[in-house]
Amino acid sequence: MQAREFDALTDTRRTELEQLISRTALGDREAFDALYAATSAKLHAVVLSILKDRPEAEEALQDVYVRIWKGASRYASNGLSPMTWLITIARNRAIDRLRARASRPATAPAEAASTIAATAPTPEAATIHAQERRLLDECLAQLADTQAGAVRAVYLEGASYADLAQQEGKPINTVRSWLRRSLLRLKDCVSQ
Amino acid sequence: MTDDTPLTAQQEDEALAAELALGLLDGPEAEAAVARLSTDPEFAAAVREWQERLAGLAEGLTPVMAPARARQYIRERLGHADAPLATDPTEGASWWRGPIGVIAGFFAAAAIAFVLFSPDAPLPQQGYRAELASDAGDMAVEAILRGREMRIAMQSGSPAEGRDWEVWWLAEGSDPVSLGVLPREGDMTMMLPEGLEPSQGARIALSDEPEGGSPTGQATGPVIAVANLTDM
Repeated sequence: MQAREFDALTDTRRTELEQLISRTALGDREAFDALYAATSAKLHAVVLSILKDRPEAEEALQDVYVRIWKGASRYASNGLSPMTWLITIARNRAIDRLRARASRPATAPAEAASTIAATAPTPEAATIHAQERRLLDECLAQLADTQAGAVRAVYLEGASYADLAQQEGKPINTVRSWLRRSLLRLKDCVSQ
Repeated sequence: MTDDTPLTAQQEDEALAAELALGLLDGPEAEAAVARLSTDPEFAAAVREWQERLAGLAEGLTPVMAPARARQYIRERLGHADAPLATDPTEGASWWRGPIGVIAGFFAAAAIAFVLFSPDAPLPQQGYRAELASDAGDMAVEAILRGREMRIAMQSGSPAEGRDWEVWWLAEGSDPVSLGVLPREGDMTMMLPEGLEPSQGARIALSDEPEGGSPTGQATGPVIAVANLTDM
């Protein structure tokens, strides 16, 4: 598929999802149903990837859509693309459950970042993000395997610094230092 | 940037934003970063950018359909629907069963007829179905498409422990597209991803994959059933 065609499709989908979220914010149950049909398999994959337990992932998915229903009115002002907003809610919910399972104090709700108003949401941002997304895989491939693997483990499996340290047999501070550098390299590469 | 040069203040902020977006912070450090979101717009923007940037990783995951009961539980939790059998069948007749209901029903039918037959009304959506069954007859799955909405029902059989069945959309001249992993039981409804057009020539296939779906984006396991879409 041509890149331009792909972008057009992405834009259409983005607008559709935005409309469904706005209508959901107004209490439109039909729109909420359509939003569920369009996105639940993806969000289920996100929570399942982190929790690795079907019954728990199914419960988390329910929590996620209850939050989406209740939080839809705050979506318009946060400046995130609709899919990122939905994925962020799903990921945060799954990580909360994962950390609670390990009976550790819950980490900071990164979701807070999606509830505060954006200062300057620009139309160009969407295009830039579409390009960045395509670059993400290429840039991850440029990192060393261990580093790319760690970024994926943290994002897709909810690994903590303690988990990474245990896995690598290194102190937490060492692991933290190289992951931070990997993330900065990733950003430099993606934003080129 | 080598591994032993200390990060600049700007890099420190950027790394902190990434860590907050990833949920890697805890304790007082997490609290301080969250508090900073409301006082430092640049920092908040950096966190949002990390969320956008990394969401691409999640978009690469193979979709996994949730069982239909998950949708029902959500409806119940939000008070959008009664639990099955929550309504007492011996209760007095509801208003729509009485004479007013008949009149309302008549108007509703008239309105539907108007919509169906008025020249501007969209054509009724074309429906397709596919019956997927293995040669051995130990599994059967039915897929029904109305417009772009696809309902998939597990009728018999289920994947082995540690395996999943992945659904593929096959159109002539294109590579198979994964529609996701089936729930282990029950049924589910999904919207057809954009770019796929239902037609008589399209086929649906099921392959047996590791739990969570094919790790490569291509079918890796044996294809257990293939069926054509047929008009309904």
